[in-house]
Amino acid sequence: MTGIMDDFMTYQQELVNGLGVSISLALLTFALGLPGGLLLAVASFNRAKAVRILAVVFVEVGRGTPALVMLQLVYYGLPVTLTAFLSAAIALSLTTAAYTSEIIRGGLRGVPAGEIEAADALGLRAFHTMRDVVVPQGLRIALPPLLGFCIIMFQATTLAFTIAVPELMAQAKSIASSNFHYFNLFLIAGLLYALITIPASIFTDRVADKLARHT
Amino acid sequence: MGHGISEAIVDPIQRPDSPAIRLHNVDKRFGEHTVLDQVSLSVDPGQVLALIGPSGAGKSTLLRCINLLERPTGGTITVDGVTIEAGHTVSANELAKLRSRVGMVFQSFNLFPHMTALKNIALPQQRVLGRSKKEAEDRAHALLKRVGLADKAQQYPTRCSGGQQQRIAIARALALDPKVMLFDEPTSALDPEVGLEVLRVMRELADEGMTMAVVTHEMQFARNVSDHLVVMSQGRILEEGDPRQIFANPQQQRTREFLRAVLERE
Ligand SMILES: Nc1ncnc2c1ncn2[C@@H]1O[C@H](COP(=O)(O)OP(=O)(O)O)[C@@H](O)[C@H]1O
Ligand SMILES: [Mg+2]
Repeated sequence: MTGIMDDFMTYQQELVNGLGVSISLALLTFALGLPGGLLLAVASFNRAKAVRILAVVFVEVGRGTPALVMLQLVYYGLPVTLTAFLSAAIALSLTTAAYTSEIIRGGLRGVPAGEIEAADALGLRAFHTMRDVVVPQGLRIALPPLLGFCIIMFQATTLAFTIAVPELMAQAKSIASSNFHYFNLFLIAGLLYALITIPASIFTDRVADKLARHT
Repeated sequence: MGHGISEAIVDPIQRPDSPAIRLHNVDKRFGEHTVLDQVSLSVDPGQVLALIGPSGAGKSTLLRCINLLERPTGGTITVDGVTIEAGHTVSANELAKLRSRVGMVFQSFNLFPHMTALKNIALPQQRVLGRSKKEAEDRAHALLKRVGLADKAQQYPTRCSGGQQQRIAIARALALDPKVMLFDEPTSALDPEVGLEVLRVMRELADEGMTMAVVTHEMQFARNVSDHLVVMSQGRILEEGDPRQIFANPQQQRTREFLRAVLERE
């Protein structure tokens, strides 16, 4: 136990920096991926069949490709040279967009048909019906599963260590390979992740409860 | 009537006697199932049409064809000079034009639950008519006052009773200055006493000269407020005419049975 504490105190700086990179990566992933998911979800209801098909193909490819493969594809495959951090953010955003589009779609479908009919009868254009009536309510319905998915994606940022992004997992591994305290350092890393994910899960449950009470 | 479709496109101001709503030989099929069978009727400006008939007769479908929530499979529909023929693809413009003339009130209110009463009424004005927020909200306040809900402006629909919600829904439709109002069993989801407040608003609207088509089970309303009564059964018009006359002396056996059944229930 003292060994773990010692390791933490010794490498505190690197580990906390690593956690910082993990959090930044996750936030950038959400900032790119969640709007992407919304866009795909809305596109899947488009009147034009070509748009719907495009959205479905994108989603299915995105969901069918493991996040790790996506990461390697973006990092090594894109013709432009991006930093490892940006490559990781783009790859994880693509995965996020594909998965959350399905979650958001489910939320949008949950908006009562009668309201959409009322919007039609009022003469609202499809765009306005979507933006003003369907999306605000659909996102509310989708919020708890979306938050849950974001927690999973935060954990998936660990995959970025494979392309040398200096996030928490990479830091822990690099320290461990110099002092051979593998168990200690991965345990510390695990605890630091939990420091974020456990409160986030509690928050998600609270939000879900609150939404359930207000509908 | 045969060639009358094209003349209805003429500006109604030049033809003050042209009907506000005219359906000509309207058919509606869902697959094999014929729900409306050659229905023709017209409603003059300022008239109140009541539609009654057993459940499944096609009353809602008929009403929903008038604002093209359902596309008729045959016939023509003219509302305030805009004619839509079945089978032709309706452009977004035509659809907007038609719907801007027709307000609709549903049995289940269908308010937007994430918006206050005020916003429910103001937002469509901003989006559909391009009114400014201020203009739209002023109008919304005036209409809320008119339906007796001046104090509910900032309330969310779920915090309002059914009768209040339905009056908000009426205000929402009126805010777009429709030429015609459609009501599909507006009181059927309400307790009788609560339904009365909605019926009172509808009656005032009728008195002010609004053209209305009302599907209803409220025989009092049909008899006392409507100018013209249409009895439907199995996708057809069974009989139509002066409401008092039909109530007093129905011509069809089927009408008699229907009226006896509903009047006994009351
Ligand atoms: N979208 C639909 N698809 C198939 N059948 C429908 C649809 N809407 C209505 N119907 C059928 O049309 C008939 C008339 O329905 P409706 O117009 O709602 O009658 P009413 O309002 O007089 O009770 C019913 O048999 C109903 O099942
Ligand atoms: Mg009905």
